[in-house]
Amino acid sequence: MIEESALRSNKTMEPKKHSRLENSTATLRLFLKNRIAMIGLAITLVYFAIAIADAVYPEWLGVSNLSTALNFVPGHIANTAQPSPPRFNGSWWYWFGTTYSTMPILPLMLGALRIDLAYTVLIVFVGMGIGVILGSAAGYFGGIFDEIMMRVTDIFFSLPFFVFALAIVYVLGFSFDNVVLALIIIWWPTYARLARGLALETKSFKYVEASRASGASSFRILFGHIIPNVLSPVYVQISLDLGSIVQLFASIFFLIGSLGQSAYPIEIGYMISGGLSYLSEGIWWPVIIPSLFLLVFTVAVNLMGDGLRDVLDPKLRR
Amino acid sequence: MELRYFIIRRLLLMIPTLIGLTIIVFVLMWSLPHTFLASAFINPKAPNRAQAILTAEKQLGLNQGIVFAYLHYLANTLTGNWGYMTLTTPIKFSGTVLSGIGLFFPNTIQLVIFAAILSIIIAIPLGTYIGARPNSAADQLGRIFSLSFYAIPVFVLAVVFQVLFGRGVIKGNPLGIFPISGTFSISAVNVISPPSWLVSGVGGVVLSQPTHLIIFDSLIHGDYALAANAFMHIVLPVLVLTLSLLAGILRFLRASMVDAANSEYIKTARSKGVPENIVVKLHMRRNALIPTVTVLGLLFAGLLGGVVLIEDVFDYPGIGYLALSTILSGSIFGVLGTTFLFGIILITANLLVDITYAILDPRIRY
Repeated sequence: MIEESALRSNKTMEPKKHSRLENSTATLRLFLKNRIAMIGLAITLVYFAIAIADAVYPEWLGVSNLSTALNFVPGHIANTAQPSPPRFNGSWWYWFGTTYSTMPILPLMLGALRIDLAYTVLIVFVGMGIGVILGSAAGYFGGIFDEIMMRVTDIFFSLPFFVFALAIVYVLGFSFDNVVLALIIIWWPTYARLARGLALETKSFKYVEASRASGASSFRILFGHIIPNVLSPVYVQISLDLGSIVQLFASIFFLIGSLGQSAYPIEIGYMISGGLSYLSEGIWWPVIIPSLFLLVFTVAVNLMGDGLRDVLDPKLRR
Repeated sequence: MELRYFIIRRLLLMIPTLIGLTIIVFVLMWSLPHTFLASAFINPKAPNRAQAILTAEKQLGLNQGIVFAYLHYLANTLTGNWGYMTLTTPIKFSGTVLSGIGLFFPNTIQLVIFAAILSIIIAIPLGTYIGARPNSAADQLGRIFSLSFYAIPVFVLAVVFQVLFGRGVIKGNPLGIFPISGTFSISAVNVISPPSWLVSGVGGVVLSQPTHLIIFDSLIHGDYALAANAFMHIVLPVLVLTLSLLAGILRFLRASMVDAANSEYIKTARSKGVPENIVVKLHMRRNALIPTVTVLGLLFAGLLGGVVLIEDVFDYPGIGYLALSTILSGSIFGVLGTTFLFGIILITANLLVDITYAILDPRIRY
């Protein structure tokens, strides 16, 4: 929760001045040598592989309809059979126990991962698209447009984004799509700021001047020269943001679930909230196991992002 | 420039931000059906409902176009006319938005005060210690600690703490000694004749006099049993809030300590024979605190989101819980009012951060 905002501070990433190829191979080598970052990368890749497997071949989970599988939300209990605790002697389905409606937790959780990662990637990339185009244009054109854009992003940064996202969801109406929309609305200014700073710098490069001198249109310079140069630092920012967005996404659905709203696609934060009311009966696994599952991912993404930042920040290379 | 002028300039710079905040909240309001707005604005128990709705329409400027409506909204906000809210779940409340905020805000302040003080007194010495010894065993431990708590979603941490340390969650758990919800137990109060300084409010919210902070008030009035009870109730939420804030501060303080350690002035100080203790405390830490303070404002923005989640998990009647309740009860002006309030808190926090920054680093003032 706290880290989203902290990551936003990382606005001033310098583009490098050496030859690109030489630089990126050196960077890659340094990154590959960082063992902790590699562990983070490996875990992140495993999570993405699971999510892709869910999308391509959902039958492997053995749960035919994931969206109806979430009937264990309080008040929607279809089957009141006692949930069984984790046991490792049977089918892999039951390794992590079952929920109240005797749904096995492990396949549910793996299925939920697809929703979390797919929408996280969607939010980040749509936010990036909007932010990079508006931010680069602001940096490139300058003047009143730049001024307005910067004031707008200032206002966004002075809003408590979590509460703001909830208010947007309330105004638009509670639905899955509106949560995604609200997160895009609160997240694009991060990229706009970053892109604007980088565009300001790129603008003064010789090849941009040459292009302008040879009569290229502003549109062509912006999309052909400025934006491609802005993108690579933005990708680093994205790798840092993935963990934050997953957290924010899960947090919002956790709240929605704990508020008793239902009928959403299965999602990890939502799963966790569904188990909350049985905690007092000593049924801890529907809550703790998905929590740990989410935790491993956010820690891994942070390890990877830290490693990336370490190798890309020249100050730390000494 | 003198600090005084810096503060005045900074206060003036707050005005556009405040206007921006009101514009955003107004846009949220304006995008809702207008017929709905007037009827939500009024006191539901108003004797003449039709008349009251007409008055509300006038007060909100609903028929005068978006610009005038915004000006009306601004005037209403400034004069404290934030509308009515009727909450049904999980809090039961009916009254003006401002009076509702007055009921719940003290509880959150209580939470945040403890968490902020605790994390700062732990983070600064600890960050100084490990930052001065990069790559030592203590540093590695500190990094693992801060990274994992930095990466844990707040609600996960809250739920795990509730399971591990909550009373009665796991049977026979020797660690489960803390109550898991509310601000104090009713059993700790003499319900038949409650003390006069404890005014029973709506929805289980009890307002204590004079500070409204139940722990401090019960101490003032000498009811130590109640103070201890209330204290036990906030241990878990405060702990969760502290850990997530602490991890963030520690991370940045450590990084900027290492940064400062590599700078020329530290080498100069060491080579001219300044004692190591002074090098670390006076030269390194003072410079390392500057970037850390900048991040503090941003961490605080996250903290506010964390407050909402923590109050939800622990059923703690603060403004986060109030915000959720307004959403759940469908009270428009409650939602807008709490969103605006959260914005104001963040803007004020950023102001304080900037002033601290100017005190620590005089260059900023120019």
